[in-house]
Amino acid sequence: MIHFERFKLENGLTVLFHKEASTPMAVVNLLYDVGARDESEEKTGFAHLFEHLMFGGSVNIPDFDGPLQAAGGESNAFTSNDITNYYDVLPAHNLDTALWLESDRMLSLAFTDKSLEVQRNVVIEEFKQRYLNQPYGDVWLELRPLAYSKHPYKWATIGKEIKHIEDAKMSDVKAFFKKHYHPSNCILCVIGNFELDYVKERVDHFFGSIPKAKKTSRILPLEPAQDRFKSKTIVRNVPADAFYYAFKMPERKHPGYYFADLLSDIMGREKVSKMYVDLIKKQKLVSEINAYITGSIDEGLFIITGKLNEGKTFSELDKEIWKIIDHYCSTLITKKELDQIKIKLRTARAFQDQGLLNRAMNLSFFELLGDANGINEEHEIYQSIQAEDLRTFAKQMFTKKNGVLLKVKKKKHA
Amino acid sequence: MLNRQVAPKLTPIKSIEFAVPEVVEIKKGIPLYWTKNIANETAKIELHFHAGTTVKTPIVASLTAGLLIAGTKKKTAVQIQHALDAVGAYYDVSVSQEQAIVTIYALNSYLLQAFDIFQEAFMHAAFPEKELKELSNERQEKLKVQLQKVNVLAQRKIQQVLFEETPYAQVISQGDYLTIRRSDLIQFHQENYLNGLAKVFLVGNLSNDDMQAMKNTCAAFAGTQAKPVKGQFSMKSHMVHEDKKDALQTAIRIGKIMFNKTHPDFIPFSVLNTILGDYFGSRLMSNIREDKGYTYGIGSYMMENTHFGYFMIATEVAKEVREATIQEVKNEIERLQTELVPNEELELVKSYLLGQLLKAADGPYAMLDLFSGVELHGMDISFYNKYIQKVQEITAEDIREMACKHLDWKSLSIISVG
Repeated sequence: MIHFERFKLENGLTVLFHKEASTPMAVVNLLYDVGARDESEEKTGFAHLFEHLMFGGSVNIPDFDGPLQAAGGESNAFTSNDITNYYDVLPAHNLDTALWLESDRMLSLAFTDKSLEVQRNVVIEEFKQRYLNQPYGDVWLELRPLAYSKHPYKWATIGKEIKHIEDAKMSDVKAFFKKHYHPSNCILCVIGNFELDYVKERVDHFFGSIPKAKKTSRILPLEPAQDRFKSKTIVRNVPADAFYYAFKMPERKHPGYYFADLLSDIMGREKVSKMYVDLIKKQKLVSEINAYITGSIDEGLFIITGKLNEGKTFSELDKEIWKIIDHYCSTLITKKELDQIKIKLRTARAFQDQGLLNRAMNLSFFELLGDANGINEEHEIYQSIQAEDLRTFAKQMFTKKNGVLLKVKKKKHA
Repeated sequence: MLNRQVAPKLTPIKSIEFAVPEVVEIKKGIPLYWTKNIANETAKIELHFHAGTTVKTPIVASLTAGLLIAGTKKKTAVQIQHALDAVGAYYDVSVSQEQAIVTIYALNSYLLQAFDIFQEAFMHAAFPEKELKELSNERQEKLKVQLQKVNVLAQRKIQQVLFEETPYAQVISQGDYLTIRRSDLIQFHQENYLNGLAKVFLVGNLSNDDMQAMKNTCAAFAGTQAKPVKGQFSMKSHMVHEDKKDALQTAIRIGKIMFNKTHPDFIPFSVLNTILGDYFGSRLMSNIREDKGYTYGIGSYMMENTHFGYFMIATEVAKEVREATIQEVKNEIERLQTELVPNEELELVKSYLLGQLLKAADGPYAMLDLFSGVELHGMDISFYNKYIQKVQEITAEDIREMACKHLDWKSLSIISVG
């Protein structure tokens, strides 16, 4: 049980506080309700580029990181298709420093041309390093538009193409800030050995005077139901043929989300899953295989991925993958297997909950979904799932019409 | 009224509480370190073996580690994995140059059961031919992917030149998988695992009886077979560029053999290392990322082994700025050798380092890792109190002296691939 308090400032900022008496550190986490799904199709990669600019100095403080480091702390952030999350971890007695820095960059950025120019280059290098200069690095740049035709999940957080980042203008940056960076679009979470009254007073001191702005409603294009199985083959300079099956799965708040998550754990389980035993051990068809979900807030993807062994073909594989899928659609998972997965989840959860930062991020994320207390309810949901739930769910999700396949074919050398 | 231009007052860190684990002797010279009073139901046991890549060859060390619980005469790999899953345990093995570490994570109430499943499989490991083939296949495929990455190629290359003609220079190549025999693994297991447990780290609220049971089991494979020996490195510097067609970036590694915590210069040098490249506001990041935009990231770090350490600068940059980047690294090092670090920057780095140490000592798991970092060198936890004091005392002159003494540009090897 993770106990927390919640309060709201007049300007709309939601604040969560979780007391942890055993640590000398404090965590300050700010989740802004903006991600790559809020970008326009002509200007993708912007939420992430913006995250970089948030470290380029704010209206009253020329340098973000310096004062935080001088306080013995450090900071980082990440952007996803759904959210942008910033965090600071520092000695608890210097809590004010993090609140001061974060409140100033929520108030306004410095918006210097130099910062924009440099961060454009940095992000372009990040694009190359992580997506283009790695074998299989561009898979998500290809898979997203194959799986989504209308919803903005069809582009990756880094952006559709480098050109969008090169073209980013200061006027875009300012408009983006105005729309998404204000108190009512943010959830602030503080963890540390503090009293609630103290946290209320300090947060109000730094954030209370930031002007209120209206939270804009999010109207995203609905992804139309697919009408047929889609597949695409790309040829790349990679060492082995790789495959990515992707099936649409329910959004984060739907009960089916938990079925998908547990089912992916069962199917992707290393060494012992049916997929592993059949395809790696018995048939020697693939050298690795895995299943996982994207975990997005809107309708997500259930992925089955792996690499073919030399000499094996995509069509041999396809037959076997559908056999496995049919198995989960027709056969109940044994109680023994379900119990194993559930106790493994319990262990994993206990370890994750130890981390302060992890707790702060999770509390904030559940608050975004509707209620931070979701963090305490999730465990029960997983433990209550039955074999029949999973079979029924598998039958619904694993249909041809609901799936796509991306094949990465090894380039033949002359 | 809040004046946003004025920074809040800072409170410096003067001392940090370091917790020491309980020590239980498994056998003479083989300790079990135990941290208890955990506020939650997690537990973990870590077994350190003298079974790293330098003991024999990396291929033997790596495949043996990968197959420790892959089947006995009575049980298959799948059965063993199922047994571990049934108690909700996670199992992991990592191999470094000098040691192999087996870790089992579980809920407190299941750790002993998980450990028993492990030890039975481990003591009777049969290294089935079929499992060896499967793992070799998987690893070979993974290696093919790795060898297409410029950062991996550069890392392998600098390892080869720094440690030239010693076991530390060895890396796994594709051909190794063709020559490996099952008997090599069996022999390695016999010599360096069944007789190679060097120490154990245990975290969890176990009963004394449970701890004793594990300790007694461990005694059966405790041994000091292959302790790392002090080697000689040539200390020659190299400069190598390898071209990689189609690469969009160039990976750069700049490094040299250095010392570990046992050396008197270790603490002042680590302050210098931080200023140069080991935090977000470092000289290298400020110049090469935040001013020039050449890279997504650049950093410097210090690695430690039993008898030595090494220093390394690592980055991936746009292809056309490879030479410009190396030149900027050189400029930054020369600045540190000729100019004094401004007081404000030095004070910032001191506070940052102490804040990071406070964090590294926070919680039983982190604290035990911190302890492990000094235990490796036969030192005790007082090292960190000395560290706090020395960091606070260090002057700009000391930093300049460290830069001149240890970062002579000609002593550094420079590798680039891409």
